[in-house]
Amino acid sequence: MEKILEIRDLAVNYYSDRKIVRAINGLSLDMTAGKVLGLVGETGAGKTTLALSTLNMIRAPQGRIMAGTVRFAGKDVFTMTKHELRDMRGKDVAMIFQDPMTALNPVLSVGEQIAETVLKHEKLGKENAWKKAEAMLETVGIPAERAKEYPHQFSGGMKQRVVIALALACNPKLLLADEPTTALDVTIQAQVLDLMRKLIRDNGTSVLFITHSLGLVAENCDEVATMYAGEIVEYGSIDQVFGKALHPYTQGLFGSLPDLSESTMRLKPIPGLMPDPTALPEGCYFSPRCPHVMDICLKKHPTDVDLGGHRVKCHLFSAGSASDAGRPA
Amino acid sequence: MTTTVAARPSTSNFSRFLRRSGRNFSQFWRQLSRNKLAVASLALVLVFALVAIFADLLYEYDFVTSNSLENALLKPGESGVVYYHEKDIEHTFILGSDNYGRDILGRLVHGARVSMIIGFATVAIALLTGGILGAIAGYKGGLFDTLIMRATDILLSIPTILLAIAIVAALGNSFFNLLIAISTSMIPGYIRIVRASIITVKDQEFVEAARCIGAGDLRIVLKHILPNITSPIIVQSTLNVGSAINWAASLSFLGLGILPPKPEWGNMLSEAREFIQYAPHLLFAPGLTILLTVLAYNLIGDGLRDALDPKLKR
Repeated sequence: MEKILEIRDLAVNYYSDRKIVRAINGLSLDMTAGKVLGLVGETGAGKTTLALSTLNMIRAPQGRIMAGTVRFAGKDVFTMTKHELRDMRGKDVAMIFQDPMTALNPVLSVGEQIAETVLKHEKLGKENAWKKAEAMLETVGIPAERAKEYPHQFSGGMKQRVVIALALACNPKLLLADEPTTALDVTIQAQVLDLMRKLIRDNGTSVLFITHSLGLVAENCDEVATMYAGEIVEYGSIDQVFGKALHPYTQGLFGSLPDLSESTMRLKPIPGLMPDPTALPEGCYFSPRCPHVMDICLKKHPTDVDLGGHRVKCHLFSAGSASDAGRPA
Repeated sequence: MTTTVAARPSTSNFSRFLRRSGRNFSQFWRQLSRNKLAVASLALVLVFALVAIFADLLYEYDFVTSNSLENALLKPGESGVVYYHEKDIEHTFILGSDNYGRDILGRLVHGARVSMIIGFATVAIALLTGGILGAIAGYKGGLFDTLIMRATDILLSIPTILLAIAIVAALGNSFFNLLIAISTSMIPGYIRIVRASIITVKDQEFVEAARCIGAGDLRIVLKHILPNITSPIIVQSTLNVGSAINWAASLSFLGLGILPPKPEWGNMLSEAREFIQYAPHLLFAPGLTILLTVLAYNLIGDGLRDALDPKLKR
């Protein structure tokens, strides 16, 4: 199947005054065209940094790409010229931001903001761009007359729908949805997700769906990747991962969700906190919190183990590094 | 905020733009008109502007610059006979005459023209240069920022009026050099304001979102950032028109700006100094005019600040 996005050994650091924040550490990830990939992980795991790297939008001098390549439709985004990048952004790859309150320019009407994108990427006149903006608003359920209104005249859910209209205005091949529903309440969340699902299906857009919520992943995604401390620790189809999570961290995430089929008195949170990205532990980054930690976990960083398309970065599954007895059930 | 959802006949983008700016303007005007002082000041400034524009219709330039010593130092309201255009004419000196027998009101009227031009031209020059430099410093950061801001600090460390005096002294005494001197002293203020405003806006998510749809730097600065920072710039510019008029008058008073016989408020004041004991009206007329003008611009500036500040809205 055609790969729309191939990320290989990506490493991104942020430099602050004295510290080096290792936001992404040798991350590799593939996305199949037309699929929705859910990316789950805690705050600070590097999810947004990953999305920004995809657009080559890591800002110097604080952020720096240390190693690796990101190929979009076969083209390396890090070697693209400024011009190619601008053409790609918004047209081929679009992004939905987490917070609709700040993602829209307060002094431009929403119609103008959508029309601007259309004008930038499509050979349409101003008149037609405006018409397209109005049409996009209609598709996300906002009356066309409101195109000339300003962001502060819209509610949060409507703003997020505007942002979605903006992102989808040029029919992007890849949509980076960075926690598109985190800032919204549950009912609006459902609305927005329904809308996104419909639009994605209609256009055949591939989506990188970044979220905290495993529930949203189960509902919306074809594949899922778990991110921890700047790397993908587990990757597989929804059935594989939700059927049997392999990595102790993914298991921990599931463990901290209530299960309707059992009567649980208490949820099992993952003990401890995400490691400080300025001082990552030696060996496996998850080892300080891992219930199955072994000697090797403290010394050697695990590599990907491929179990029939279900990849996991854990010593429990590396050949010869662990006995079967050590495997979690 | 009223939102009209009713369908409107489809119109061009331009008329949509006009209608929208009209709505914004009326809202802004509602805010401003609550401030009676600002409105009064605006009216005064408009009157002065009209007087400056139609100065030639009110008093001929030659008339206010030519001497008629027999009418020297008339009191306000006194009439005299002036030999002008090769004939004698009876003329009433509404605000009296100066030591050369020139009509003071006429000189004020033509002085208004000079002051208005200086006020707006210097602000325009300073706004353009300071704005561009400030935008580069704020948006680009790094080495540009350091270089531009250190240069600004150096300029700021020299007292404004001294800097202006130094520039006029170095370049020579002309109208154009006066403009340069005054605008140079104003540039640091604009650099700082524009830089600070851009820094607060440029890291907001919508700027990142604009970059994300493929917008280039120039478009981001002009279309996405600039409209967000117009309020402080408008306020600063209005206040600066007042200060520019003040500085021009000061420099002229010191003999470094517009020189007599050209009418200018500062040099009128300077000439009137000698007659303060027997003809104080010579001093009061230009002095009060300067005071009123500068005060009016400051009050408008304050009014604008209140009207444009989103934190005070509603």
